[in-house]
Amino acid sequence: MKYLLTLSALCFALVGTAQEDDLFDLLDEGETEQITFATFKGTQLINAATNETPGEGVLQYVIAHRFGSFGDEYLYNFFGLDNAQIRMQLDYGITDRLNVGIGRSSVLKVADGFVKYKVLRQQTGAREIPVSMTWYSSANYRNAKYTDGIDHLMSDRLSYHHQLIIARKWNSSFSTVVSPALVHWNLVPDATDPNSTMNLTLGGRYKLTNRMALTGEYTFISNSRYSDGSSFTSPFGLGLDIETGGHVFQFHISNTRAMSTPYWMTQNVYQASNGGLFLGFNISRVFTVKE
Amino acid sequence: MKKFLLSLSFLALATSLSAQQYLTREGNLTFDAGSPLEDIIAKSNSATSVYDASSGKLGVQVLMTSFEFKRALMQEHFNENYAESESYPKAAFKGMFKDGMADGILTIHGVSKPVKVPAKLEEKDGAMHLTTSFDVTIEDFGIDIPKAVADKIDSQAKVDVDCLMKAR
Repeated sequence: MKYLLTLSALCFALVGTAQEDDLFDLLDEGETEQITFATFKGTQLINAATNETPGEGVLQYVIAHRFGSFGDEYLYNFFGLDNAQIRMQLDYGITDRLNVGIGRSSVLKVADGFVKYKVLRQQTGAREIPVSMTWYSSANYRNAKYTDGIDHLMSDRLSYHHQLIIARKWNSSFSTVVSPALVHWNLVPDATDPNSTMNLTLGGRYKLTNRMALTGEYTFISNSRYSDGSSFTSPFGLGLDIETGGHVFQFHISNTRAMSTPYWMTQNVYQASNGGLFLGFNISRVFTVKE
Repeated sequence: MKKFLLSLSFLALATSLSAQQYLTREGNLTFDAGSPLEDIIAKSNSATSVYDASSGKLGVQVLMTSFEFKRALMQEHFNENYAESESYPKAAFKGMFKDGMADGILTIHGVSKPVKVPAKLEEKDGAMHLTTSFDVTIEDFGIDIPKAVADKIDSQAKVDVDCLMKAR
């Protein structure tokens, strides 16, 4: 008898608690993953690549200019605009993670092909991944004639780079990137010069508004001299990103003019202190080819 | 007395069973803010919805980043410039279902507004099927549409909800 009484009391208690539980707490349980979006506006910061790739089915066209130097009759050359170096790039998002592209830069008439793959995407929720990681490799072919009178092999004209881009979006306005890169030159002046060098790029962006951001990058290089007397400086740049719908405009000032990765990264000859500063821009336009 | 208590306890047990709750985390939620100039349709397949049959409480919630657009760039713009998904990750409805109406508070972009819209709840094979369709005035929720794109985006977004909730 007492047992039954307890049982019924228990049942009532159960009903009671079931209703006191806030039903809406269930909404927040079992959250799915939230992949961080738009760590950077563009697929490149200034010269350096970001972790971003165009989405699946998106064709991207990038046109970039690096104008003449501040040290070289600046006004006569209309702020350097008369001496522009140019790069054109066409790339495509095969999937949301995989991106392939080709480019052509006027400095030493370098053609390149590249592959970019998002290995890891920063996310919260079901899985916590604090950073994004993107792999980026390129092969670069110099078309410019050699002036040393030697009959060069085709392989002499090739250089490569492999890079791991580690990016983090700290909050809605601040993102950083740390990218170690291996650059390999098939041809260097002397056997004592390194064919492969390790380099480290640091970069960041700070959003001023939803459509405008300040950017900056600096690359530490491991080799600053070849035995033939040529010396190289660390490339850096400061920029402003402006986004208008399908375009991203990136205006910047840097100490570089070459735009194929091995060339700007490890063989930059310009010195900011000697007027080796250049205005430049990258403009990208995306087209959704496959919906 | 003994019989009475016995039936009472059964009754209590029965009520506790009929206080049935339904839940899904795979609900479909679509919105359409398109115009003749641009089709802007987004779909989420991971909306969460809950319903308590005894109290009539109904809740629906969706992560803004779970919306998929046809174009990657549009999706990025939606999250970054309009929904501001980092600051306001979720949109939710919390309220009651009564007499064919969902009546409660709709929260989007951190702004909460009372809403009362027609909705359908149908029981099928022990599951509860929620469907509703209503318009949301984007401006009401503090989402700013720049003049430059104002003619591409409908100021009224049509929202479709289709959630098949299982008994829990």
